[in-house]
Amino acid sequence: METKFSVKDLDLFYGAFQALHHINIEIPGKQVTAFIGPSGCGKSTFLRTLNRMNDLIDTVKITGYVSLDGEDIYSGVDVMKLRTRVGMVFQKPNPFPMSIYDNVAYGPRCQGIKDKKSLDAIVEKSLRGAALWDEAKDRLNKSALGLSGGQQQRLCIARAIAMEPEVILMDEPTSALDPIATQKVEELIESLKKDYTIVIVTHSMQQAARISDKTAFFLMGELIEFGDTNQIFTKPHDKRTEDYITGRFG
Amino acid sequence: MNSRKIKDGIINIFIWAAAAFSVGILIAIVYFIFSNGLPLISSRFITAQYNASTNIIHMTSEQTFLQPSGQDIFSENLGIGLEQDDDGFWVNYVDTNSPGRRAINNADEIVPVEVGQLLQAVTGADGQLRVDANTSPEDVVAALNSSPDITLRLNEQGGGVWPLIVTTLLLILTTLLVAAPIGILAAIYMVEYAKPGKVVNTIRFATEILAGIPSIVYGLFGFLVFVNTLHIGQSILAGALTLMILLLPTMIRTTEEALKTVPMSYREASYGLGANKIQTISKVVLPSAIPGITVGVILAIGRIVGESAALLMTLGTFARLPVNMSTGNLSLREAGTTLTVRAYVEVNESGNVEMAAAIGIVILVIVFALNIISKLISRKFSKANY
Ligand SMILES: Nc1ncnc2c1ncn2[C@@H]1O[C@H](COP(=O)(O)OP(=O)(O)OP(=O)(O)O)[C@@H](O)[C@H]1O
Ligand SMILES: [Mg+2]
Repeated sequence: METKFSVKDLDLFYGAFQALHHINIEIPGKQVTAFIGPSGCGKSTFLRTLNRMNDLIDTVKITGYVSLDGEDIYSGVDVMKLRTRVGMVFQKPNPFPMSIYDNVAYGPRCQGIKDKKSLDAIVEKSLRGAALWDEAKDRLNKSALGLSGGQQQRLCIARAIAMEPEVILMDEPTSALDPIATQKVEELIESLKKDYTIVIVTHSMQQAARISDKTAFFLMGELIEFGDTNQIFTKPHDKRTEDYITGRFG
Repeated sequence: MNSRKIKDGIINIFIWAAAAFSVGILIAIVYFIFSNGLPLISSRFITAQYNASTNIIHMTSEQTFLQPSGQDIFSENLGIGLEQDDDGFWVNYVDTNSPGRRAINNADEIVPVEVGQLLQAVTGADGQLRVDANTSPEDVVAALNSSPDITLRLNEQGGGVWPLIVTTLLLILTTLLVAAPIGILAAIYMVEYAKPGKVVNTIRFATEILAGIPSIVYGLFGFLVFVNTLHIGQSILAGALTLMILLLPTMIRTTEEALKTVPMSYREASYGLGANKIQTISKVVLPSAIPGITVGVILAIGRIVGESAALLMTLGTFARLPVNMSTGNLSLREAGTTLTVRAYVEVNESGNVEMAAAIGIVILVIVFALNIISKLISRKFSKANY
């Protein structure tokens, strides 16, 4: 299996506080990788190192090596370009206060695509890809804030896939959604993984078990165990992993 | 239990008393201003010149004009229409191409014929015709048509605030045109670019100090720097530059607040889609902040309308249209005065409380309109539900 991200000896500091300790992981392409672990263990922080979203925080210092398809993303890479290759969906749906159409077209427009026909095609394809087309096609020019929470989250996924990224990072994408909306997003993730590499942070053990191929367990800024989801949930090698997934943690 | 009830009661009484007191004062102010000023208010008060004047002006006709229907007394030679009443003949129509619009006085200054002026004398081919209420319309028209070269004596009635309204609006526009871009860009720098730390704190401290300085100090500064040192002279431009300095601290502050209310998640979403900083600011942050920025702008307008001390020496106190006399056009390099400054001067110099109160009514109407606009915008603001 081809490796998408290769991370070696990654340390991350928020000022003096070390949030990640010596992370080493190889994230495979065209698969769903889940990050699990208790609150505050550094899942989001690590996820955000993969598209350099941590650059937005002034106090962050990073050492170590992260590569995408063998290319070091922390030296000599155009960050804007990187983020078009590695898209992101956030915990809370965060559509822009614009129309549905403008939300999806935002990324392509920022890349300089102005042609109305191409944009129309991208918007339709992305909304279809995010299983939102049927619900949204009659209200493309209405505000995205009028959508339900679950629809908003799928819109955010559509917005991300409009960039035709290689990777989609998702930080607890269903934690703000009800069970039905959650199921829809999970189905969507299933269908996306044949085209995209997906890395998802989740607090739901069941969700990780249902949708992921690989699972990584984090604890206090360290990567404790990484392996096939099946193996992690049935025969964890590490005692701490076992404690966590059986709910005996803490 | 009982003592708590008494305490509550006393506090309630104080709250009610304070509320009633402030409402009472508001009513008293409005009553005072309206009862004093209302008798003066009329459409003429809004549209007429401030000072009465008599002008002797010359014009040369180069074409003939068509008589508009319903215009009984009309000079085809000058394109000027009149109406007659007990006081005499009033200008009530001036054709857009009338030579009267380019009429000049003995000092070669352009003094156009305007609707509402009283005609007192006509000098044409047959010498001077004095015009009063008993002159026949036919004679007046004959005199006006007697020669291509016509000299008129026109009486401007005055007593209106038109020049004040024009100056006030022109000042608002000019001030905003210089202050808003600078204030907004400075705020964008402070919120989006500057690293939080010493520099930003120092700037913020400085702007807060500046916001607390009384406006007469700004007025003195503007007078010394813009009027004298830079030789701009008392003018709308000097007044606007002075107000710009006076307004910048609050402008920056309100814009900063508006930018800060834009959720971080919008910025993250934008950067996450590969947008750069300029794109993120111009496509996401600024549009989301515009309602808040607009409220800041409207508050600034209120401040401009209400300002007097900073304008006394920079804009002037003379109620006149800010018109360049040799071109006849409105000009920013001309002095004038605003409604507020004039109301102040009016009471101060001539004790004309009625005039000041009538000006006060016009100011109240303008401020009230601006308030409603800002309320509407801020209501829309809260609906955006970030
Ligand atoms: N901007 C920041 N500045 C300083 N410390 C931070 C910052 N963001 C996160 N941290 C700290 O880094 C550690 C890891 O945080 P992170 O958000 O990555 O945890 P998480 O595993 O995603 O938790 P959760 O499951 O609650 O989302 C926490 O101790 C947190 O307090
Ligand atoms: Mg998190």
